[in-house]
Amino acid sequence: MSKVIKLNVIDRPKSDYTGGPSSLCPGCGHDQISGVIIQACWENGIEPSRIAKMSGIGCSSKTPAYFLGQSHGFNTVHGRMPSVTTGANMVNKDLVYLGVSGDGDSASIGIGQFIHAIRRNLNMVYIIENNGVYGLTKGQYSATVEKGSKKRKGAPNEQPPIDMCKLAINLGCGFVARSFSGAKKQLTSLMKAALSHNGMAVIDVISPCVTFANNDESYKSYGYVKTQSEELHGVDYIHHFQPMNEVDIPEGGFEDVELFDGSVLRLETLSTEYDYTDPTAAIAALHAAEVDKKHITGLLHHNTDMPTADEDQGLVDTPLCDLSEDMLRPSKERHEEIMARFRA
Amino acid sequence: MCIPEMDVSINDFVINVATANGTGSQSSNLILLNSMFEMGVPVSGKNLFPSNISGLPTWYIIRASDQGYQAPGDKTDIQVLMNADTWFKDIEKVESGSVIIFNENVKLPVERDDCLVFGLPMTKLARGINPKMAKMIANMYYVGVIQHLIGIDQVALEKAVNRQFKGKKSAVEVNLRAIEEGRKMAEEGITWDSPHAVEARQKKEGTFLIDGNEAAALGSIYGGVNMLSWYPITPSSSLAEGIIHWLPQLRETEDGMSTCAVVQAEDELAAAGMVLGAGWAGGRGMTCTSGPGISLMSEFIGLAYFAEVPGVIWDVNRVGPSTGLPTRTQQGDLNLLREASHGDTEHIVLIPGTVEECFEFGWRAFDYAERFQTLVFGFSDLDLGMNNWVCSGFEYPDEPIDRGKVVRSAEQMAAIENYGRYRDVDGDGIPYRTLPGSGLDPILYRGTGHDEDGIYSEDPEVYQKLMMRLKRKLFNARKHLPSPVIREETQKDVGIIYMGSMENSIQEIDDIIEETGLKVSQCRVRAVPLHPDIEAFIERHNRVIVLEINRDGQLYGVLRKELPINLVPKISSVAYSDGMPPRARIYADLILEVLKEGAQ
Repeated sequence: MSKVIKLNVIDRPKSDYTGGPSSLCPGCGHDQISGVIIQACWENGIEPSRIAKMSGIGCSSKTPAYFLGQSHGFNTVHGRMPSVTTGANMVNKDLVYLGVSGDGDSASIGIGQFIHAIRRNLNMVYIIENNGVYGLTKGQYSATVEKGSKKRKGAPNEQPPIDMCKLAINLGCGFVARSFSGAKKQLTSLMKAALSHNGMAVIDVISPCVTFANNDESYKSYGYVKTQSEELHGVDYIHHFQPMNEVDIPEGGFEDVELFDGSVLRLETLSTEYDYTDPTAAIAALHAAEVDKKHITGLLHHNTDMPTADEDQGLVDTPLCDLSEDMLRPSKERHEEIMARFRA
Repeated sequence: MCIPEMDVSINDFVINVATANGTGSQSSNLILLNSMFEMGVPVSGKNLFPSNISGLPTWYIIRASDQGYQAPGDKTDIQVLMNADTWFKDIEKVESGSVIIFNENVKLPVERDDCLVFGLPMTKLARGINPKMAKMIANMYYVGVIQHLIGIDQVALEKAVNRQFKGKKSAVEVNLRAIEEGRKMAEEGITWDSPHAVEARQKKEGTFLIDGNEAAALGSIYGGVNMLSWYPITPSSSLAEGIIHWLPQLRETEDGMSTCAVVQAEDELAAAGMVLGAGWAGGRGMTCTSGPGISLMSEFIGLAYFAEVPGVIWDVNRVGPSTGLPTRTQQGDLNLLREASHGDTEHIVLIPGTVEECFEFGWRAFDYAERFQTLVFGFSDLDLGMNNWVCSGFEYPDEPIDRGKVVRSAEQMAAIENYGRYRDVDGDGIPYRTLPGSGLDPILYRGTGHDEDGIYSEDPEVYQKLMMRLKRKLFNARKHLPSPVIREETQKDVGIIYMGSMENSIQEIDDIIEETGLKVSQCRVRAVPLHPDIEAFIERHNRVIVLEINRDGQLYGVLRKELPINLVPKISSVAYSDGMPPRARIYADLILEVLKEGAQ
C-alpha cells in the first residue's frame, strides 16, 4: 500500500516548505519557530516562490536556511533587514515578505529600522525570536532582557527591558502578537493570521536559549515561561477557503478578527475579556504583566487603519521589477519635448 | 581720483557679489548670469554659500570669458557689497582700479580712492516699491547698476527675469521696476567710464544652463530607476529632489500611477539597504548622498560587492573629513568609493566632468550595475552638482536598457549548463542570477562565505576562488567603462591626468603652462577601475601630472596601484584643496613647480 501524501490547498506536500538541516543548538526555540513557519505557510497554501525570507544577523537570522528551501531569501547585515525588505517590497509588492530577526538584531542595533518599518507600515511579517541574549557571541544580555532576570552565567540584569510589542503598538502597528516557541498551536494560528494581514505584522516570540539562558532564573527559559505566562485568549485560525460549517463553535464566548485575505482569527475568551482593538488597553496589560514578572501571549493589538508602504506610493499594478523598457525610459519624442522646454 | 586711462575689457571680467544668505540674492545673481548667457556671452556662476539658512555670508562669482574659462578668476573686477559682516574684508581684497558697487543703507564707509566706486540706498529704494519685500528687492538694484555698467541687453535681461520668476506677473513687474530704477540712477550718477563690458556673441544653438544634480536626476530617470531611497544631505539633496520633480512628468502612466517608488529613509544606512533590497528583487534601486553618507553605507556596500547585488549610489562630494565644510567642494571621496567597506573590496566609480556626462552616467550606471552585478557609484561634487553649467543638451540613450545576466524562464535555465548562482559558466567572471518570485533556483543570499551554488561555506579553496573571480569580474569591467577624454599635443612634453569638475579649469591651466613653452596634453579619467587607454597615454608622455582637488592625491594613489610598476616613476601628484572650485592659477603654479623639480 502506498503512503498517502497530504497536500495543501495548492496541491503541494509539506516537504515543499522545508529547508536545510539546522545547525542551531539541539532544543533551541528558534527551530520550533522554523517548524511553525513551515506549517503555517504550508497550511495557508502560499506558493513557496512567492515568499521572500528576510533576515539580519544572529542565531535567529540564520534560520531562513532551515525553512522554505524553495523560496528566495536574503540574510543581510546586522539589524538592517527592514531596509532591505523595504527596497525589495517597493520593486516587487506581490511577494510575501517574511522577516526573521532576533532581540539583538531588532532591539539594539536595528531598533531604528524596526521603528521606521512600522512607521511606514511595510507589508511584511516581522518575527522576533526573542531569548534575551546574544547567542552567536556566547550569551551577552540583549536589550529585551527583563530587570532581575539572570542568564546561566554572570550577574542578574539590572536594566529595564525594551518591550518590542509595547514599542510596536505605540507606533501604531496594525498587528502585534506575542507568543512562545513552545506554544505550537497558538503560535501557528498567530503566524497564519500574520500572513493573512495586509501591512506590518509583528510577532514577538519568546524563544529560550538552551545554551546560555535556560536556567529557571532567566525569565525567558522554558521553565519560567511555562509557569509564568498567561494566554489572553485561545486563538484559532480559520482559512478563508475553509467552509465555516466545518469549524467548531467554541462553548464559551469568542470574537472573530477578520483578516485581509478573508480568513478569520477566532479569539476565545478565557478568564477575562481582552480588547485587542484598544492600543492603550494593550499597553496597560503589557505594563501590568511586566510589573508582575509575567508574560502575556496572544493577539495584543489589531487594526487596519493605515495604507501599506507600497500602497502609499501609488505604483502601477505590475511589480516594478517586471516592467519593460517602454515603461522605464521616456520615449525619444518625449525627450525632444523636454529638451525643447529647456532651450525655450 | 587717480584712475589711469585703460582699455575696456570685453567679455573678460569677474563679478563678485557679497551678500548674506536668506536675502534672496540667488535670484538677482541668476538673473545677471542668465541675461549674459542669453546674449551669448560665455559665462559661469559659482555660488559660495554657508552651511546655514539665514544670515551668514554668501558670495556669488560670475565670470565672463570669451576664452571659455569657467574657473573662478584670480581676481575680482566688479565687487558688489551688500553684507556688513564681510564689508571690510571684501573691500580689502579688491585690487586697485576695480569697480565697487555698494548698498549705502549698510551705513559703512568705502574708503578706496583707487577704485571706481558707486553707491545707492538700495534697501530704502526697495522699501519704496514694497516694504515687506525690501530685503529681497534691494538686490535688484545692483543688477540694474551692473546692467548699465557692462551694457546688458534689455531683452535678454527681461527674458532672464521672466525665467527666474517663472513668468509670475507680479514678481516680474516688481523686480523689473527695481532693476530699471537702479539702471537709471547709475546712468545719472556714474561719472566714470566702465572698464568692463559685455558684447553679444552668437549664442550656441540649443544651449541652456543646468546644474549637474538635475542632469544626473534626469539621467537616472532615463535609466529606469525603480526605487529612489534618500536621506537629505548637502550637496546631494537636489539630485533626489530633481528625480522627485521629474517623475510625475516622465515616469507616470496616463492614469497617474508611478513606475518608481521614492522613500525618504531614516538614515543613510537604511537608504543603502533599500538599494540592495531593490537590486536583489530585480529592480533598479538608487540613492544619492555625500561623503558622510558613504561612510555610513559602507557595510552595505561590502554586502553588495560580496553577494553581487546591483545598485547605484551617487556621491556628490563635499569637503571632508568628518562634517568638514559641508557647502564647499572637493574630490576627496575617491579612495572611499573605490574601496568602501572592510575586507578586499573594489567598486566601479563613474566620474562625470560635465553636465552632459552627469546625464549620461545617470542612465548608464544602472546598466553597468546590472551587467556586472555590483554597486556602481556616480562621483560628482558640489561644484559640478550645484552650480549652473552651459549644456548643449542631453543625448537620448543610444543603447537599450541592459538588464544583465538574469534568468527569467525555465527554458533559459535549461540552456545553462551547470547553473549555480555564483558559478562563472561564461568565463567572464559574471555569473547568472534568478529573481525572487520566479521560482527558478532560489537561494538564500548572504554576506557570509558561499560556494558556487550560494551555500554557506568556510572552505579555504572556495573562498579564495570566489575572491579571485570577483577580482576578475571587476578587472574585465574596466574596458567596458567610459574611456578617458584625451586632448593630445603632437609634442608630448607634459600630460595632465585629471577627473570630474576639474574639466572646467583645465583649459585655463593648460594655457598658463603653455605660456612657458611646454606643450600640454590632457587626459580626463571618467571611470575607475582605470581604462587601458590611460596607461597608453602615460607611456606616450615625457612627464605626467595627476591633478586633483584634494590633499593626498587620491587619483594618483589609484594610478600607482593600478599601473605597471615601470610607469609609476613617470607620474607626479599635484593635489590641492581649499574648498573652493579650482582656480586655474593656483594649480598651474603648483604644476610648474613640480615640473621644475624635474623627474623624481
